Amino acid sequence: MDEYKKFLADRLLSDEQPITYRLLSRALGIHVNTAKEMLYDYHTYQNGIKAESIHATYVVYGTKTQNNTAEDGDVEMSSSMPEHEPLSETVPTTTLALIRQENLEAALAEYQEVVSIHMYSLAPGPQRDVSLLYDVAKSLAEYTSKEDPLTAGEKYGTIRNLNVRRRDRQARPKPGSSTTSQPAKAQPPKAQPIVPVKSEPAAATKKPSPFEVAAAAAKLKKQPSSQTPSSSETPTSSAAKPAPALKRGGSGSIMQSFAKAKPPKPKPEPKKEEDTEMALSDDGEADDEDIAKEKSEYKDSDAVRKSRKQREDELRRMMEDDDEEEKSEQEPADEEMEEAPEPEPEPEEEPKEKEEEPAETITTTANGRRRGRRKVMKKERVMDEQGYLVTIQKPGWESFSEDEAPPPKKPAIASSNSSTPASSAGKAKKSTGKGAQGNIMSFFAKKS
Amino acid sequence: MVSLNDVSGSLLHKPTDSAHSVGTRTDSQYKPLTTFNLSHQRSYQQQYGDMYFLRLTKIKPAVEEVAAAAWERTVIGDETAKQVERVLDVRQGELCWVVGTVYMNLQNKPNILEDVSKDRWISKPDPVHKYFKEDETEEIMLEDDSGRVRLVGDILHKIGLSTGCIMAVMGTENSNGELEVIDVKFPDLPPQPERWALSGQPGTQGNGVKKVKDEDQEMSGQTGGKKKKVAIVSGLAFSGSDASYALELELLLEFLLGEVLSPDAQSELSEISRLIVAGDSISGSDVKPVTEEEKKNKKYGYDASAYNAVPSQLFDEFLAEILASIPVTLLPGPQDPANSSYPQQPIHPAMFPNAREYTNPPGSKEPGWLDIVTNPWEGEIDGWRALGTGGQNVDDVYKYVNSEDRLGMMEAMCRWRCCAPTAPDTLWSYPFQDDDPFVLKDCPHLYFVGCQPEFGTKVVSGPAGQSVRLITVPSFSATKEIVLVDTETLEVTKVKITAA
Repeated sequence: MDEYKKFLADRLLSDEQPITYRLLSRALGIHVNTAKEMLYDYHTYQNGIKAESIHATYVVYGTKTQNNTAEDGDVEMSSSMPEHEPLSETVPTTTLALIRQENLEAALAEYQEVVSIHMYSLAPGPQRDVSLLYDVAKSLAEYTSKEDPLTAGEKYGTIRNLNVRRRDRQARPKPGSSTTSQPAKAQPPKAQPIVPVKSEPAAATKKPSPFEVAAAAAKLKKQPSSQTPSSSETPTSSAAKPAPALKRGGSGSIMQSFAKAKPPKPKPEPKKEEDTEMALSDDGEADDEDIAKEKSEYKDSDAVRKSRKQREDELRRMMEDDDEEEKSEQEPADEEMEEAPEPEPEPEEEPKEKEEEPAETITTTANGRRRGRRKVMKKERVMDEQGYLVTIQKPGWESFSEDEAPPPKKPAIASSNSSTPASSAGKAKKSTGKGAQGNIMSFFAKKS
Repeated sequence: MVSLNDVSGSLLHKPTDSAHSVGTRTDSQYKPLTTFNLSHQRSYQQQYGDMYFLRLTKIKPAVEEVAAAAWERTVIGDETAKQVERVLDVRQGELCWVVGTVYMNLQNKPNILEDVSKDRWISKPDPVHKYFKEDETEEIMLEDDSGRVRLVGDILHKIGLSTGCIMAVMGTENSNGELEVIDVKFPDLPPQPERWALSGQPGTQGNGVKKVKDEDQEMSGQTGGKKKKVAIVSGLAFSGSDASYALELELLLEFLLGEVLSPDAQSELSEISRLIVAGDSISGSDVKPVTEEEKKNKKYGYDASAYNAVPSQLFDEFLAEILASIPVTLLPGPQDPANSSYPQQPIHPAMFPNAREYTNPPGSKEPGWLDIVTNPWEGEIDGWRALGTGGQNVDDVYKYVNSEDRLGMMEAMCRWRCCAPTAPDTLWSYPFQDDDPFVLKDCPHLYFVGCQPEFGTKVVSGPAGQSVRLITVPSFSATKEIVLVDTETLEVTKVKITAA
């Protein structure tokens, strides 16, 4: 018995899951056209053993007979027919139809010419609702997300394009890409070493692979490393972890990626105690980390967990008040944002302006007192011509005389005072009262 | 009538040993223009009046030329028609002709002056199916920067008109101060550039050609003589709640990737060199209107309950998958997350975390593999000048006229030399100051409009030998149809995808 028949039997008869040619092609790593033929072969084979045990859908592509197009039971079509005016040219229409096997003969009768026909899917029972196949199609992402679509397409028979241009994914550091909505997408580096090995010896031979497929269809998330001894515990962790990651909103995922980027430092310790398989997958991925975490927790108990928690707290605090830090970490994300037109220039310009115009001029500095004039925004309330009270802000100069800045700040001022009074003023401003405001400013800039 | 046995491209047989080949997609000669791109530092402070002025000054010479050729030395009665410069110069009883902008006052048309005077400040007017109403209340006026004159005459009801189009009218002013129109003239199609005017034909002599050859020698060799097509689709309407056409979308994906069908048909699919998405890729039905109560308990910052990210995620996944095989030009439409006023600016790539890897880094000169463009959009596809919109321009003109002939409206827009005549009156628009980009400088070879109720196509030709292929692209979510344009002959076919 052929391997693919075994695979299909597992999928269709044991798991009672429908399968499409695309899923079969991805699961076995074969060309889609071969997969279509396999579906047909299995369909005849299985129904030969037991009639009506497997039901198929077909794709028929061709030109329909003109008269029949109007009355093919399509609601949209018939509703738009009356409006049809001879003002438009009639053009040849090719119809690509997905047809259940019960309707195949009738459907074919409507065609004038059929260019191609093949099996689309098999299911263990009559498929009353073909839209269920959409769910099967969606589970395909399990397979494709692991590999680079550009290279993998060739194996499956996707029309290749020699001119395709893509920005280099590798050039982009992890945090940036893992903030995207799909946690699965961040996995390629790990999956690549596994896939070539696994897909070629045709997963069908071993038990694990059909199991994988079933698991894939059942849960939407699955651990690729089901062959490892730890497979019994991984499903729980994988099912639990990636799902919330998917749901979490913007800042949450930033946090997560941030945390992800950091850990490697303290991690090596527990890592050494792991088996080699663990060490192999050290790429800071969420899944691996979970496993590592789980295991290390068994061993190092609370100490590790606690330090981890502390670290995360620290990080959170850092996120909140230290923008500088965040900026350097989030560089890749920021690069993306550069395309956003407005927000960028603003935060850049604002501080510059402040520094450029001299906010205060110091005329004398003597006896520990500074005298001079400085620029302030004055609020003025005036009554305008129509009798409305209007509050306006006016820039104005006021003279001042004050003690020199308190001792702790002295060095900074003293050093720059002689050379550039303007910059010293700027610095003084920042460190006193205004400092908080500067922070708020940059916070808003970040948000936007 | 076909039976199973006489299907040529059948894969209903046992697996063969011979390996199946993998097709190679035809390359796409493509050069987008930035006609409708707005500056990032644009201001919205200015008045709209300049747009009408600019449009009139840009189109007036062309209309005058047409009108002069037609009406010069026209004698009616004893009088010779002569041109008057301004609308206000029209004298009672004198036979004359004048050029101006049409303004229409219709029963159901929103009127900004009325809204202001009645202190109505709603954010979005109620959708109106037609401004036009079958009674005699419509008023058609011709205006320029000097003033306005009301037009009367049977001929006006025979031709479709909309606010904002430029025309010349000949007639006399009657005692009511109305201009009784005898004849009207339009600027007609603008001059049409030669094919390959911008990008240079690959494989012949010329400037741009050499460059192409140097860059990819083997590519230009492959394209010679091969049929090429462009697929146009609109209204994909990826939705988080409505899955009624999800399987058709999946089939469309497989169709574009060339995975579905048998080997012969697959090699045909590899002729599709580009996909153009003409608007409404993301369904707007998932956005629930904000109720009064919700408005009061407004949360600041990100509110996960108010925004459903699923539609854009689905679209992103769709794009990311097909981009590995086919380049995509993406126009925004009325439902898409772009600005709502014309010209709509490109959807921000941040909407597509996966697919944006195929966009170009900012500042790059080359068109991106995923080219996220404006609506309307102008460019050159395989040498043909193409103009495409997401459909708002036609939808709005449609409301003005007593007709269902959307192709006719597209034709009219070409002949008016304005692809969005009703902007800025009823079609929201950016207040242009220096240029009205909606005025057609060059006549396109291919003019497609997305998000239309049904498919339609025809060819119109102009006095100077211009010929334009017009296509109304239906919404895929409603009709499940996509349009294929042969880029050698500009012939159109369509593919209907059904999943019964």
